[in-house]
Amino acid sequence: MRASLAALCLLSAPVFGADEARVISSQPDSVSITIYRDFLALITETRTVDLPADAVTLEFDGVVETLIPQSAVVADTGRAVQEANYDFDRLSPAGLLRKSIGKQVTLTRTNRRTGKASQVAATIVSANGDGVVFSTLEGKEALHCSGLPEKLTFDEIPDNLKQKPTLSIHLAAGAAGKRQVRVSYIAQGFGWAADYVAHVNADTSRMDLSGWVTLRNFTGARFADAQVQVVAGRLNLLDAEEGGSSSIGDTSQYHNEKDLASARKERLEDLETDSGDDLDGLSYFQGCYPLGPPYFPVPRKMRREAMGVVDSILAQDLEEIVVTGFRGSLVERENLADYQMYRLPWKTELGARQTKQVAFLHKPDVTVDRFYGLRISADAEESEVDQSDDRMHLHIRIGWKNTKTDGLGEPLPGGIVRIFDRNGGESVFAGEDSIEDTPVGVPSEITIGRSPDVTLAMQGEPEDPIPTALSFLTKRVYMPMELTITNAKPRPVVVEIRQGYLFESTDLRVVDANLPATRKSGDFAWRFTLPANGERQLTYRVGGKVQDYRDFED
Amino acid sequence: MRCATWAVIGLFGTTAFAADSGEDRALSLTIYNQNLALVEHVRPLKLAAGRQRVEFAGVSAQIVPETVSFSAANLDLIEQNFDYDLLTPTKLMEKAVGGKVRLVRTNPATGAETSETAEVLSTTGGTVLRIGSRIEVLRDDNLPARVIFDKVPDNLRARPTLSVLVDAEQPIDQDVKLTYLSHGLSWAADYVAVFDELRGALSVQGWITLTNTSGTTFTNARAQLVAGDLHITDSESAWVNDQRNKAQRIAGTASGTAQPLADYYVYPIKQLTTIADKQDKQVSFLESANVKASKGYEVSFGGFDSSDQPLSAQVRVRFSNSKDAGLGEQMPSGVVRVYARDARGQPQFIGEDRIGHTSAGSEIALRIGDAFDVTVTPTVLQTNRINKRTTEYQMSYLVRNAKGTPIVLTLRQDDLWRTNEVRAESIKGRRTDADSFAWDVPVAANGEATLTFTLRQGW
Repeated sequence: MRASLAALCLLSAPVFGADEARVISSQPDSVSITIYRDFLALITETRTVDLPADAVTLEFDGVVETLIPQSAVVADTGRAVQEANYDFDRLSPAGLLRKSIGKQVTLTRTNRRTGKASQVAATIVSANGDGVVFSTLEGKEALHCSGLPEKLTFDEIPDNLKQKPTLSIHLAAGAAGKRQVRVSYIAQGFGWAADYVAHVNADTSRMDLSGWVTLRNFTGARFADAQVQVVAGRLNLLDAEEGGSSSIGDTSQYHNEKDLASARKERLEDLETDSGDDLDGLSYFQGCYPLGPPYFPVPRKMRREAMGVVDSILAQDLEEIVVTGFRGSLVERENLADYQMYRLPWKTELGARQTKQVAFLHKPDVTVDRFYGLRISADAEESEVDQSDDRMHLHIRIGWKNTKTDGLGEPLPGGIVRIFDRNGGESVFAGEDSIEDTPVGVPSEITIGRSPDVTLAMQGEPEDPIPTALSFLTKRVYMPMELTITNAKPRPVVVEIRQGYLFESTDLRVVDANLPATRKSGDFAWRFTLPANGERQLTYRVGGKVQDYRDFED
Repeated sequence: MRCATWAVIGLFGTTAFAADSGEDRALSLTIYNQNLALVEHVRPLKLAAGRQRVEFAGVSAQIVPETVSFSAANLDLIEQNFDYDLLTPTKLMEKAVGGKVRLVRTNPATGAETSETAEVLSTTGGTVLRIGSRIEVLRDDNLPARVIFDKVPDNLRARPTLSVLVDAEQPIDQDVKLTYLSHGLSWAADYVAVFDELRGALSVQGWITLTNTSGTTFTNARAQLVAGDLHITDSESAWVNDQRNKAQRIAGTASGTAQPLADYYVYPIKQLTTIADKQDKQVSFLESANVKASKGYEVSFGGFDSSDQPLSAQVRVRFSNSKDAGLGEQMPSGVVRVYARDARGQPQFIGEDRIGHTSAGSEIALRIGDAFDVTVTPTVLQTNRINKRTTEYQMSYLVRNAKGTPIVLTLRQDDLWRTNEVRAESIKGRRTDADSFAWDVPVAANGEATLTFTLRQGW
């Protein structure tokens, strides 16, 4: 009796001022969604509300459930916003049970053999993470511990459990009438990525580059007619656990774009496999007194079925991922502060758990530099030797400069570039790599694979460097290099060999080279054309100043 | 029957009892931004004379029981109990050891039910029962068997419950005061800042976000919020505090309008407020439409490396919360979300940063994000070992600006060794620290500029 009273109190507690008028805005007139790459979006809604002159509670239905409440801003109300509330105690199996403590429910047991269902009235005595205890005329029992199919039926939804999390504001008194208010908030569970498709013509060094925005809605929200933008650039974001907006932690903790890209990829995989089921589900209430041994755990699937949750729902959720392509028309780009923003020129539908693709770039004639490259350095992973033929296979590299004169000159948001080799009329997938955010004027180079035909052999294993007769003066030691680069292709190719530090030293030097070297990003570099089925020797000595040259004496 | 002998007293929200007492009652909350609140209930209490137990329903479910204090005139407190032994199926069975339960089995083939009385012998690793003269393990055959208990033990509860044992010399009808600390209530400041680059102005709105995850709804409470980091013996919050002040550049010395409480600042919420369980509540506390602000580009390098891939410059928005600059208020620790208007005039989110508790008159540089169009490509031109302890680096930094406006990039070389000097430089730089130098590199619109310098460092 005491318990049921307590529950009553809880329900009668008004969530808002009881004497205040309440206006419910059921849906927005229009929605704008700005999607960022770090799995969040700024949602801006315009809503028309009819306000009374008195102080009023204005409730916004249909906001996206993943909203970050601290980010919510309601503007253009024409009155003082006294407070804003976001109630996240949503209707869920767990919430229903928790709020039903002390209340009467109906327990249905089904006889597995006969299929006969028997119902009894029960009162929930306790419900928490360690199980549920209920009481009937027969006595007290624990739920889901007997091995019998047991189901609870509730008469009604407790008052303060919302079907959806709800955003509401209290407004002071003011002029009565219709107004357009703007509600904006950041919501998680959206994302976008740039994808590039490049058709490269090997003979002419031309590239046809198209860029696609792939935008994703992982939430259950459905937008019928939305203005959609995406923002390219790296925003400083703070961890959501610490009051920020990011679901991948502080973005400043990622020291380079690569780390950030892999964190995004990981999060993307999580979101893709996430069924949207919440943690606050029925499983929260599992718990029994010790049963067994021997204890045969009921498979999760059976347990879910016993509780009326069918796994096939999850499968259906995943099937709803639809790829929609809009081909032909390009999105519009504008500068937003220090970022690039791409705006879909038409209003679009964005479904729940949907993927959509739109074109943002098409440059049909970009000058590219296709070459075969290798960097020899102590810290270069790429200079490993292929076990099968004891040779180093050169990387197939494609470089371009992002300028108008070279046929490009557009900001390129970072993303994956997929290269297709055009061979006559046919296109063959040749490989892929990623680029980082690339402003106009900045060169890019990507690696699309290793060449089976353009290879390098090193005469003699690179061992320790050797002091010279003058080492006592110069502190320098040198390593002799003798490279043979071979082209097995029936056409000439451009080769670029780079030499970085090979051992712990300063003042990198290359001497006695049989071909003059240039510098590239701190390295020494050679660039030459290998004729069809030709080969070339490259010999030089690479050296530097070491702490003690005598370490390298025999 | 038990509850009739207990005085279940005027908990807020128990409309039935509140109506009976018809007395004034109050609830006040002092909320700290470290997941902690001081809760004070004033409740009417009506008692007969004698020793009795008084149970307080509706207190925070995350009460810190050792901080409870109960004050009432003419009433001797004998003991104070906080029962948090929650009723669970396991506990129910444990408490039944030595007692009798009823066992109802269902025949899986026929569906027929049979009922037996069993004595619970043990619950260690499994439930051992004595049925008549047999000893059995409960459900070791995995067949259905219901266990029915006669009663729930007194001290097992659906929710944590606070109770006191008191001795009243005479019948009592008065207000009593109950205070305690509770977890599950916290607040944070959140700022919305719209940056207008052309006007060099920020429009700042400050919101206090109260979060209630205490499991309890607080109705019609007088709430006040305390800003300042209390020392709490909790290593995790100490770490968080260390992280906070990154955006603050110069500490201010001015006073704002918030009311000081000892060494902290207090923000009272004007009207009585209801904070529902699982609710975030936002109350505006600061608004200024015109705060002077500027934007800057920064990049810092902690070592000497070459990179093929250009690095993006960081964008900072700098402002002061001094009166002169248009603000003149202290700003409690929180997240600042920065917006800029797009070509259509709609505010778009451009990044967020945290500020620490910031006294009025401080200089703040918010880190917004990385500039898409301002990049730096570092190249080590030459390194040279001068002696065992000293190395010289010849660096070249190529700064590209793809924006249509000229910029100035502040490039820092940080974390140098103990002795360090710049021996040559293409642009005059400055020492910013014992172990860092900075250069301001101007770059024309859609242009490039190269900073080269020779720096010698040693230890």
